[in-house]
Amino acid sequence: MAHVIAKPAPAGKSRAPAPERRAHPLRNVLLKRTAIGVLTLWFVSILVFAATQVLPGNAAYAVLQNTATPQRLRALETQLHLNRPAVAQYWAWVSGLLHGNLGTSLASGASVSSLIGGRIVNSAVLVIAAGLIGTLLGVGLGVLAAARRDSWLDHVLSVGALAITALPEFVVAVVLVIFFAALVWHLLPAVSVFTPGQPPWSSPSELVLPVATLVIVIVPYVFRMMRASMIDALESDYVEMARLKGLPRWRVLLVHALPNGIAPTVQVIGLSFIYLAGGVVVVEYVFNYPGLGAELVSAVSDRDIPVIQFIVLILAAFYVAVNILSDVVSLAASPRRRLPRS
Amino acid sequence: MDLSRREFTKTAVLGSMAVGAAGLVGACSSSTSNTPGPSIGGGNPRKGGTLRAAITGGSSSDTLDPLNAINNADFARCNNLFEPLVGLTPGAQPVFVLATELTPNPTATQWTLRLRQGVTFHNGKEMTADDVIYTFQTILNPKAPAAAAAGLASIDMAGLKKLDKYTVLIPCTTPFATLHEALAIPGYSSVIPVGFNAKAPVGTGPFKLVSFTPGTQSTFSRYNGYWQSGLPYVDGVIITDYSDETTQVSALQAGQVDVANLLSADVISEVQSQGKNILVSDGGGWNPFTMRVDTAPFSDVRVRQAMRLLVDRPQMLDLVFGGHGTIGNDVFGVWAQEYDQALPQRHQDIAQAKSLLKAAGHEDLSFTIVTSDIAQGVTQAAQVFAQQASAAGVTVTVQNVTVTDFYGPSYLKWVFAQDYWYYNFYLPQVSLATLPTAPFNECHFDNPAYVKLYSEAIATVDETKRKELAFAMQQIDYDEGGYIIPFFPGVIDGYGSNVHGLVPSKGGLSLNAYDFKNIWLA
Repeated sequence: MAHVIAKPAPAGKSRAPAPERRAHPLRNVLLKRTAIGVLTLWFVSILVFAATQVLPGNAAYAVLQNTATPQRLRALETQLHLNRPAVAQYWAWVSGLLHGNLGTSLASGASVSSLIGGRIVNSAVLVIAAGLIGTLLGVGLGVLAAARRDSWLDHVLSVGALAITALPEFVVAVVLVIFFAALVWHLLPAVSVFTPGQPPWSSPSELVLPVATLVIVIVPYVFRMMRASMIDALESDYVEMARLKGLPRWRVLLVHALPNGIAPTVQVIGLSFIYLAGGVVVVEYVFNYPGLGAELVSAVSDRDIPVIQFIVLILAAFYVAVNILSDVVSLAASPRRRLPRS
Repeated sequence: MDLSRREFTKTAVLGSMAVGAAGLVGACSSSTSNTPGPSIGGGNPRKGGTLRAAITGGSSSDTLDPLNAINNADFARCNNLFEPLVGLTPGAQPVFVLATELTPNPTATQWTLRLRQGVTFHNGKEMTADDVIYTFQTILNPKAPAAAAAGLASIDMAGLKKLDKYTVLIPCTTPFATLHEALAIPGYSSVIPVGFNAKAPVGTGPFKLVSFTPGTQSTFSRYNGYWQSGLPYVDGVIITDYSDETTQVSALQAGQVDVANLLSADVISEVQSQGKNILVSDGGGWNPFTMRVDTAPFSDVRVRQAMRLLVDRPQMLDLVFGGHGTIGNDVFGVWAQEYDQALPQRHQDIAQAKSLLKAAGHEDLSFTIVTSDIAQGVTQAAQVFAQQASAAGVTVTVQNVTVTDFYGPSYLKWVFAQDYWYYNFYLPQVSLATLPTAPFNECHFDNPAYVKLYSEAIATVDETKRKELAFAMQQIDYDEGGYIIPFFPGVIDGYGSNVHGLVPSKGGLSLNAYDFKNIWLA
C-alpha cells in the first residue's frame, strides 16, 4: 500500500512539510473529528437538560407519585435542590462534571458513578461480545457466500439473512426464550439476573441468549455488505491477475480480495456497533438485563436528570467514538479514499 | 370499645396463615398456641432454602425506608425488614403485631398504646416506647413528612408521652376514633429504631438486610433473634426487580424464581401449563374512575349517575381481570366492618343513563378520560369504559399518558381520570380522599352533610354507632360521589410447585402481603 500513500496529495488545509505527510491525513481527521465530537457532546448535554425541563413534573413528583401531598413535595424539592433556577441547576451539574463529580441520583440519593458503574460494564460486555461475534460471523459468512457465489449455500445464507432483517429484535429474543429457556428446552436462563457487584462474565450462561439475540440481529447486515463487496473485489482485474499468476485460491481470497472487500464493510460494522448501543435497550428489557438501557428508561420516568445526562453522554460519546473509528479504519483500509481525487 | 380486654395478641399474628384469623375488631381469640398454624399446601413446614421473588414496580427510586415505601418492590422489602404496630390479617382486618393493646379514651382524643415485650431490632437492641415515639415523630416531621403524615395528621406530635418502657400515650389534636385502623395501612406504623438510617436499616422483621441495589436486586437473611420462635422458615430471600410480566413469567417457567407478583389474567393459563401455580386473592384495593364534581359536565349529579350506570361491571371485570375480583358499588372500603353491604347493587342501565343525560342537557356528551399504566388493568379498564359508554351515544376519548406525567403537576386536577388505591378502611380513606380537606380529594368532593357526619363519626368510640354514621356517609357516596368503582380487582400471583405457605390476602398486596416469614420451600 505504501506506494499509493507516497503520491503527493496533502489532505485538507494542511501545508505540512513533505516528510510528515504520511501521517497527516489520518491525524488531522482524528483531531478534527475529536474536537467536533467534544463540541457535539456539549450540545447534547444542553439539549438533554432542556428536554428534561420541558417535561411536566420533576423528580419529586416522580418519586412521590400518589403520595405527593404539597408538604411532601416541598420538602423533597428543597432536599433535591429542585427549586433552584434551571440555569443554576445546569451549571452545578457542568461544574461538578469538570471536577470529576458526576453528581447524585435524585431518585436514589446514591452517587451516579456508583449507580451506573456496574451497568456500564454490563452493557459494554453485551455490546462488545455481540459486536465481535457478529462481525466475525458476518464477515466469515460473507466471504464464504461470495466465494461460493450462486451455490445452494449462498442462496440459503442470502435468503436467511433477508428474512432475519425483517424481524424486530424483541421477536428474535422472545423466540429464543421460547425455544431455549422457557417452553421447549430448559437449557438456558430466560432472564439475566446477575448478583450486583459481580461482573457479567462470572455467569456466562446468562449472557448467551442476550448476546445471541443481538448477534442474530446484526449478522445479516454485515453479511450482505461483505458478500456484495467481496463479489466486487473478486470480479476486479487485480484478482483476475492474481488468479492468472497461479496463486492458491485461499491466498487470492484472503490476501488480495479481502482487504479491499472489507473497507465498505467497516462502515456497516461501525453502524452495527452504533445500533447495538441503542438496541441493547430492547434486549435488556426482554431479558431483564441490568444494563444502561434499562437504567435510562427508569431514569427518564423518574426525571432523574443527573442519571439521564450521564447515560446519554456515554451513549453519545460511544456514537462519536465509533463513527471516528470506523472512518479512520476504512480510510486506512482503502488508501485511495483518503486522498483527494486529482 | 375496650380493646385491651381482648386477647388477640399471639393468635392473630401467628395465626395469620389461617384465613379469618382473629382480628382486632369484632373478634376474639380462639387459641393462644405459640406454634404457627398448619400450612395450606400440605405437609409440615420445612426450614431452609432461599426464596427468590420476581417483583415488578421497582425503579431506581426504590427505598428501604418503610415510612416512605411507595411501590410494590418497596413493600416487598420493607414488609420483611420491618413490622407495624398494627397490621392486617389475610381477611383485611386489623391485628396487633408489635402493639398488644390500643385503647382510646371516651372522646377518642387520646390513645394508650402498649408494646409487645422482648422484641429486638436486627442490631440486638430491644424495641421500646422511645422507638415508637421516634417513629411517629419521623412520620409527622413537618420538614420531611412521611407517606402516613396526612393520614395520621390528628396525632399531637408534641404531646406524645412515654408512660413506661412499653407504654406510649398518644394524644390527638382532634378526635381520632379510627387510629387503630389507620395504623394498619401498610407503611403507616412500621416501627423504626431511634436514629434510624435508611442506608443501613434495622427493623424488627423476620429478615435482615444483606445487600440492596435500587431498581435491581436486594438480598436478605433470616434474623435469628426474631420474636416469633420458629419463624421464618427460609434462610434467605432474594428480591429481584423485574421490568414487566413477560420476563417474570419467563423466569418463573425457567425455574429461575420461586414467586412472581401482580400478574395479569392473560398469563394464568401460560403459567399453569408449565406446572406452576396461581394464587388469586380477592384484593380490597380499588382502581376508581374519578369525576371532578366541581367541573362541568360532572358538576351535575345526573351526569355522574349516568356515568355510573353506563358501566357493565361484570363484563369489565371479565375483560380486564378475567373475572377475578369483586364487583364494586361506587363505595370504597369493601372489607371493612363499616362497609354497607346493603346498598342496592348498581347495574348497567343504558336507558336510565340516557334519560339522565337528556334531563341534564348532555345528550351527545363527549369527553376525554386521562389514563395511565399506574396499576394492573387500569388502561384496559379505560378502553372498556369508552366502549361501554358508546352504547348510550357518549363519546369517550382515551388519552394515555406516562405514569410520571399522570402523577405530575396535573395529578388531582384531571377532570375525568383514574387512580389506584391500596385497601384502606372506610373512615381513614375518607380522610384521605373525599373530605374537602383531604390531601387526595381527586373528585373535589365537598358535601357539608358528609363532612358533618364524618366529624361526628371520627369522634365516636362506640363501634355500632360509628358504623351507622359511616353507612349514612356511604349513602351520600353512592348517590352523589365522584367515584366510579366498578370492581375491586383480584390480585394474581404465580409461584413454583416448591413453594408452600401462600394464602390469599384481601389487603390487595401480593404474596401474603409481601410477608415471607410463613413461606417454606420443599
